[in-house]
Amino acid sequence: MHEGTGPSGSGATHCGCMEGTQVTRLDATIERPRWRARLVRTFFVAVLVAQALLLVRSYDDPHNFFGFQPFNESSTWQASVVRVTVDGRRIPIDEPWPGDYDWDQLVGWRVVQHPERTKHAYSGLDASLDFFDESLDWVADHTPDDAETLYLEAEVTGFRNTRGPEYRTLRSDDREEAR
Amino acid sequence: MTAVETRARRGLVAPRTFDEVFDVPGSIRSMAVLRIVLAPIVVLHLLPFITDSLDGVTYLDRFNEPWFDVVPAVPGAVQIVVVWIGLGAAVAMGLGWQTRIAAPLTTVCVAANFFLSQTHFRHNRAFLLFLLAAVALSDSGRVLSLDSRRRASADDDRATLWPLWLLRIVASSVYLASGFSKLIDPDWAGGLVLWDRAVRHQQLVVTRVPEPVAGWVVDVVTQRWVHAVTSPIAVAMELFIGVALWFGRTRIVAIWVAVLFHLSIELSASVEVFSLAAIAALAIWATPSTRDRVVVVPDVDAARRIRRLDWLARFDVRVGPVSEIELYDRDAVRHSGREALSMIRSRLPLTFFFAAPLVLLRSRIR
Repeated sequence: MHEGTGPSGSGATHCGCMEGTQVTRLDATIERPRWRARLVRTFFVAVLVAQALLLVRSYDDPHNFFGFQPFNESSTWQASVVRVTVDGRRIPIDEPWPGDYDWDQLVGWRVVQHPERTKHAYSGLDASLDFFDESLDWVADHTPDDAETLYLEAEVTGFRNTRGPEYRTLRSDDREEAR
Repeated sequence: MTAVETRARRGLVAPRTFDEVFDVPGSIRSMAVLRIVLAPIVVLHLLPFITDSLDGVTYLDRFNEPWFDVVPAVPGAVQIVVVWIGLGAAVAMGLGWQTRIAAPLTTVCVAANFFLSQTHFRHNRAFLLFLLAAVALSDSGRVLSLDSRRRASADDDRATLWPLWLLRIVASSVYLASGFSKLIDPDWAGGLVLWDRAVRHQQLVVTRVPEPVAGWVVDVVTQRWVHAVTSPIAVAMELFIGVALWFGRTRIVAIWVAVLFHLSIELSASVEVFSLAAIAALAIWATPSTRDRVVVVPDVDAARRIRRLDWLARFDVRVGPVSEIELYDRDAVRHSGREALSMIRSRLPLTFFFAAPLVLLRSRIR
């Protein structure tokens, strides 16, 4: 996308712009083929339109992606996660897990690690819980040595900007390995 | 003194028409400065991914969420290649070696890594991506680069400026978007959000501010009423920066407020490379016209000191038969002695923050 940057017609003019000084001006414009001039202008406008759309769209997105709304909340959440087995048992994830899996090691991302602790909701409560919901599916898909868990379920307690509690129940997809 | 000749290159102060944005060249030096500062920022940004790659860990080894379900998962080995190429490209970009390849390559690598998973998203990384894209689109290698040393016209820093104007609009929209979203949120504008964050993260102050100041700071920032006052001020600062950067009369104040704003964020929150990138990005608000103020100093050492700190080439520094330092401003006004020195310091990046308020205060009193 680099332009022909060598300014054309760099004719130097002189003016006595301040007492005892002489200013040399180098007048120039950049000349491009018409198609390229149009392309650059179109690109410029397209980027601005896209930026405007992203900013507006972010208000309808729990993550506010590209909305530039940092530090948007001071919310907190905590969750109790259990493995629901084929025979209906509800086993907390901190108890022995076939395949010796560990939730925190599996997810490997602080935003959804240690769900049992009350923690700051990264990028807001809705964003954190959306990621947490997805992480249940991801863990369910990445524990191949566990043949007894049908799905993972989380009882979530959230406080939105100190208000609450809000309760939600999240669950993963059913696992093929346990069927 | 004898006649002083300045080279007031016809750079845009502000485009008068839409076409001037594209057709009138100006100094690309501010983008070159941004390019140089962005290089170590990119290295810092990529470092955690590089460290993981040394341990053989990729984004696929931990929870990840694709941006687009229709796109097949990218193999982890590709991420390793991307971040290492990005690292090398960032170094080359900083040096200005093969800049026209290195800068776009850095942008592509950072973007590719960013778009591997939604969990890689941070507002500060999105901002970094915008900065890199603008640098990649501009001809920043024309100056302050190894590339420029090979060119015959190494002194000519003029190039097309539309990437600069584009970045200015995007950068100011970031401040405005952030400020507006907080303005319409009663919890934010009323101080609840900041107060609760301050209470929860007060240990950050203890780790970043020395005692006994830390204890006093914690006492203050955990008071509810303090945030009822400071939150509207923070919102006003963001909105002010987003608007005031556009006007010559308020730009210096806006840049100063922006530096203060980002330093305060750095002290109070973990924002990765954002503070550094945002402060560096303020360089784009320098008028894209270089060496259009003349400084005359009595000795070579003084000239060298100014030139060394004048990264944005605000001054045409000359040695002449003067008893004290003289500055000929763009508006043809002559300043001398301490006044000239203050003016010069207020236009040098490293001394700007301390000198600009004094110069502004002096101009107001006058």
